[in-house]
Amino acid sequence: MKDIVRQLLDTRSHIYRGPAAPRPARAAEEGGCGVTGFACTEPLAGRFIYEPSAQMRNRGNGKGGGIAAVGLTPEQMGVPRGVLDEAYLLQIALIDPGCHADLERRFVLPNFDVLLSVRQPHLDDYRDVPGLEVRPPDVHRYVVRPKPRVLDDFARGSGLESLEPRDLEDEFVWRNSYRINDEYYASLGEKRAFVLSHGRDLLVFKLVGYAEQNVEYYRLRDFKAHAWIAHQRYPTKGRVWHPGGAHPFVGVNEALVHNGDFANYHSVCEYLRQRNVRQQFLTDTEVSAQLFDLWDRVYKYPLEYIIEALAPTSELDFDELPPAKQEVYRQIQAAHIHASPDGPWFFIIARSRPDLGQVQLLGITDTAMLRPQVFALSDNGDVQIGLICSEQQAIDATLRSLAREDARFCPVADRTWNARGGSSSDGGAFIFSVDADGNGGRRLSCADKFGRPVELRTGRVRCDLLTPEEDSRPAPEALRELVSRYLQKGDVEALWSHLLDLPTWSPGDLKRFCGLVVEGADTAKARMTAVRLLTLLRDRRFDTGDKRRAGVIQVADRSLEALFDSAPLFGRPASRYWRRVDRATRGLLVPPRAGEEVLVVDSEGFPAEGDDCDAVLLREAYQAGWRRFIVYRLRGQRFHGSGFGPGTDGVRIDLYGSTGDYTSSGMDGMEIHIHGNAQDQVAQIAKGGRLVIHGDVGQTFMYGAKGGEVFVLGNAAGRPLINAVGSPRVVINGTCLDFLAESFMAGDPLTGGGFVVLNGMEFDARARLVPQRTPYPGSNLFSLASGGAIYIRDPGRRIVERQLNGGGIAPIDDRDWSLILPYLEENEALFGIRVRDLLTVDGRERAPRDVYRKVSAVRLSVLAGSKAS
Amino acid sequence: MTTTIVDAVIPRGSPLPEPPARRPRGEPSRAVRPAPERYRNPIGKYRVTRSARCDGCGLCVEACAYGVHLRPEAYALVGRPEDHRCIGPSCVQGGDSCIDRCPQQALSLRLNPNVECLGDPRWTADLILSTWHQAATGHRPPPHLEYRRGASGGGFDRLRFRFEVPGTAPCRFPRLEGGAVDLGLDLNRRDDGRPQVHIDIPVYGGGMSFGSVSIHTILAKARAAAAWNSFSCTGEGGYPDRLRPYDDHMITQVATGLFGVREETIQRVRIVEFKYAQGAKPGLGGHLLGDKNTPAVARMRGAVPGNSLFSPFPFHSVYSVEDHKKHLDWIKEVNPRCLVSVKVSTPTDVDMVAVGSWYAGAHIIHLDGGYGGTGAAPDIAKKNIAMPVEYAIPKVHKFLSAEGIRDRVTLVASGGIRTAHDCLKAIALGADGVVIGTAEMVALGCVRCACCESGRGCPRGIATTDPELVGLVDPDWATQRLVNLHNAWREEMVDVLGRLGLASVRELRGRSDLLRLLPD
Repeated sequence: MKDIVRQLLDTRSHIYRGPAAPRPARAAEEGGCGVTGFACTEPLAGRFIYEPSAQMRNRGNGKGGGIAAVGLTPEQMGVPRGVLDEAYLLQIALIDPGCHADLERRFVLPNFDVLLSVRQPHLDDYRDVPGLEVRPPDVHRYVVRPKPRVLDDFARGSGLESLEPRDLEDEFVWRNSYRINDEYYASLGEKRAFVLSHGRDLLVFKLVGYAEQNVEYYRLRDFKAHAWIAHQRYPTKGRVWHPGGAHPFVGVNEALVHNGDFANYHSVCEYLRQRNVRQQFLTDTEVSAQLFDLWDRVYKYPLEYIIEALAPTSELDFDELPPAKQEVYRQIQAAHIHASPDGPWFFIIARSRPDLGQVQLLGITDTAMLRPQVFALSDNGDVQIGLICSEQQAIDATLRSLAREDARFCPVADRTWNARGGSSSDGGAFIFSVDADGNGGRRLSCADKFGRPVELRTGRVRCDLLTPEEDSRPAPEALRELVSRYLQKGDVEALWSHLLDLPTWSPGDLKRFCGLVVEGADTAKARMTAVRLLTLLRDRRFDTGDKRRAGVIQVADRSLEALFDSAPLFGRPASRYWRRVDRATRGLLVPPRAGEEVLVVDSEGFPAEGDDCDAVLLREAYQAGWRRFIVYRLRGQRFHGSGFGPGTDGVRIDLYGSTGDYTSSGMDGMEIHIHGNAQDQVAQIAKGGRLVIHGDVGQTFMYGAKGGEVFVLGNAAGRPLINAVGSPRVVINGTCLDFLAESFMAGDPLTGGGFVVLNGMEFDARARLVPQRTPYPGSNLFSLASGGAIYIRDPGRRIVERQLNGGGIAPIDDRDWSLILPYLEENEALFGIRVRDLLTVDGRERAPRDVYRKVSAVRLSVLAGSKAS
Repeated sequence: MTTTIVDAVIPRGSPLPEPPARRPRGEPSRAVRPAPERYRNPIGKYRVTRSARCDGCGLCVEACAYGVHLRPEAYALVGRPEDHRCIGPSCVQGGDSCIDRCPQQALSLRLNPNVECLGDPRWTADLILSTWHQAATGHRPPPHLEYRRGASGGGFDRLRFRFEVPGTAPCRFPRLEGGAVDLGLDLNRRDDGRPQVHIDIPVYGGGMSFGSVSIHTILAKARAAAAWNSFSCTGEGGYPDRLRPYDDHMITQVATGLFGVREETIQRVRIVEFKYAQGAKPGLGGHLLGDKNTPAVARMRGAVPGNSLFSPFPFHSVYSVEDHKKHLDWIKEVNPRCLVSVKVSTPTDVDMVAVGSWYAGAHIIHLDGGYGGTGAAPDIAKKNIAMPVEYAIPKVHKFLSAEGIRDRVTLVASGGIRTAHDCLKAIALGADGVVIGTAEMVALGCVRCACCESGRGCPRGIATTDPELVGLVDPDWATQRLVNLHNAWREEMVDVLGRLGLASVRELRGRSDLLRLLPD
């Protein structure tokens, strides 16, 4: 440790009163929560963090919610840009406004030159915010710089003269806030006031309630910032909560929110206390922010090293690092492993770096990826946005609310992905940075832990955003006739082959074409055909040429919604083929009448769970005799397909929009199509039937499954098929983060047992199938499995024994191939991924045994009975 | 070799009524019927030895009121003493015992050496023998057996009801007679529109999977639960079809391995239990070692026979309280009429776990303390990790009370509930009711030899999946044993509550003032 760093930490004793208390006990127990955040090249109003927060309400319990805004606008702050970059925003929560004068007299006026002192406006009566039960603190904000003389005294008194001026100033501000909290919040137990934030260009608000209530109460709907983060808290201890325990927590120029909890809270505290960092709020999140602050501001570690200290690289991933990196990482791990949070956690950090003119948004996941996390990037040319959330539905909600107000935003992200915690591939962390582009504007970039950029591979021409004249051009009559004819004939193929010409179309052609499809869908057959065609347009990976794929999907989605909206609600005159039900008309649900085949459910407004949710409606409709369902405008609602009971052959459910957790859990016989990415806990304990996921799927997919045929177009996140038994048969065209088929017990696949085909493929910019870097990057494949098999496309022999933890790897034989071929053919029919292309390696078609390998069970002594051992 | 001859010619057990006649299945009744030990030589506390000096005078037959000495009609010799019925030294002190009256001084009395190797301080030989007695007769054991508590020197064994401690001021209330005491419990206190579930005794049976115990054991537990309008639990090995007649008295357990959990098994019951952890081995999932994973067990679970089945810890889909809520929401969606129970072990922050579970929507919070029995738990884990349930119950009870939600949730405790007295003490400490496991196994003849998990499993045919050993337990007999045990417990609980002047077991909850902790 450098002397000056030691000196800085040692002299913090000046601000501590009395000896260190014995190891602190956590004041609150909290497990999961909902976290969300975004960073944008444009400053965005607070109402856009409102939407995703409200969407994830069911991840909190209303006992704590907070938000942070980073990258503010001078106009709204009432100070010039220069001041915003240079001065500290000391933001104080006054639970008891009576202590304000005393606090100001003792801790603000003597220490700082106050450039601005304002009370944050808020609603007159907190009870005007529905559901808000505790009066939020008054918030007072000072724009300050430490007085030069005070700073000099501080430097001399602490022996910190050699510290860089800015570092000295930061430390002074930090210590001053510590003392305020000590005086008014932590030690006396009276909890009268505390510092919300004190960084530059950064503000934090928190209250006892839900995160989005901050936006309402503090009148932030129109308050703009480049980056926002929000947190829904779910604490479970105590009857009285204080806003001080809510997230975000701050270092100096960063605000951190956290989902999860640490098993080694005491160890981390001990580590911090050895470095003379004491705790005041006694939550996991406080120490997380302290770790980050210590490593970033005091030790001055590069971000990569901070991430390594938080989430160390291990196992196979460590071996795959370059030797030079291994050497550094080994040192980091040796020094800081005790501070590495153990357990499920996911951090979102927003920070300002005014000296670099930069705003950053970071998401970091734990090494076992035990908390849900989704990253997304949307590049609209002149405006770019990066998002990090607990659930994809929060991303969808943010982009949807943005697109509603500002046509430049597309409601569909260009790319969504998961991080692989503690890995050599991305390090489990991604960083969005908003920088000045040199032309007075801003530009967003995204990189992983190692600084490798995330690139978008898509066309730029937008089919969803048209110039007025392009938009108003009528569709050619001939086309109208053609579309109508094929719709009536039910010829999806013909229409689809027409659509494949999209690269040559002008931007407005797609919208016109889809408009004709919607219009022409006026008979049962035409409606069915139109749905199939537009669904294919949204799901199928095909070359869109210069057209931006997100825009194509947006047009398809909008057309599908228009089409579904045309189905008559209950209580209206019938039309052929389908019937629609929404929240308002759910009480009118009756059995299908003659000619009514499909029940269309508009999910908007339904709660995500509980007796009133649309999954319950689906079950009731099934009991009333409906068998075909289309569910659309999904906003994260859960449990679709659950609760139907056994033997549901002949049921088909198509889900459009943001599907929720536990979709198709327990399915037994039915067929479910998820048009888009699926969430967590999908197909848990599934027993039979067919599930098709036209995208990625989240955590613990098919946990404890007994059977069923499942096709996944993209990747699975962590821990798919854990503890699966019986005969599940799964094709995953992408790969998995880790822990695939742990404790798999699915018998012998050749005699009716289960298996997974893992193709490890992805699509390139022109929608061509290409292999991923490795078919399976994780260190744990098929661990402790006693049955079933994994057929893995691995022509390069990338999978090695040490990834297996128990299984054996062997070439496939003819019996294996004839077992999996029908599934690959089905996969081809569903996704257009040709078996031939899968067998093609480096441009040449190979024999199956040269492409696929089989991982299967070997008898393990740890699993054997006493007779065998 | 003489004994063999004697055994061969003398019919045993004649003074007691005949074993119960087979009753039609599917109609369990709570009527007490004798269900004597199923082995030829039942184990008693004392050994009475007859030496060769015996001349067959038969005075001992006259002397013994307990049926130790028998001489059937037309037999010249007195049979080998049925010494499991002997009440021991207290009888000798009267001066009129068989020992005293034997003119040949052919009889001698001592502690049965088998008893010295039976049990341990928590489950003493007396407790095992008295549980057998209760299961055999349906009533309170004789006074020579300490049936109320063990000898561990801590926890329940150091707690007494105030009337048991000399010098304690008497209760203010008049003693109530048995008929007026109510032992029933309502399990749904959430007022959430889901059905009420009532049990007639404040006790139900814990989860034991098909795989860990035999189908006969499972059936007996289920039938006894049906007879007493209470519950038994599937454990995590699936839901055998033979349990279908008892759906209304079964709890489907959803445990971390999700073995055998299907929608229909969730939908057919009135209570679904999430097993997050077991008190015997917090931090570990279920274990079923390879030997017991027979083809039948593997078929039920969809697994591969012969391989050990380890359930993960924790639920892979639940790493936080909001995941937990989602998990409960899922089960409630699948079965809109069920109550949800959450079984957790007792870590130091068990109070917060309980509150979190309530907020997540649980109807029943089930605390499983560190003395829970399980054959397959590693020795290092047993009793060493989780908190004893005696500490956990008041901790959670007080915390729920302070939170203002105590009356909106049912708190049940397990993990070391051996007797009716333990049950009432747990309730006085703050639980609403208890869940028992080992006590039921002992009632079926378990000697606590701890050979449950490996090889063919239980030598007494209780916790085994071996097709041959399973046959050692007749389901009708086993059902009657459990029915009898519950009756004996009920009588005991009614007696104690009556002495405390309480008209209902619900009034006892949290009345720790009625307990006394003995000094060291």
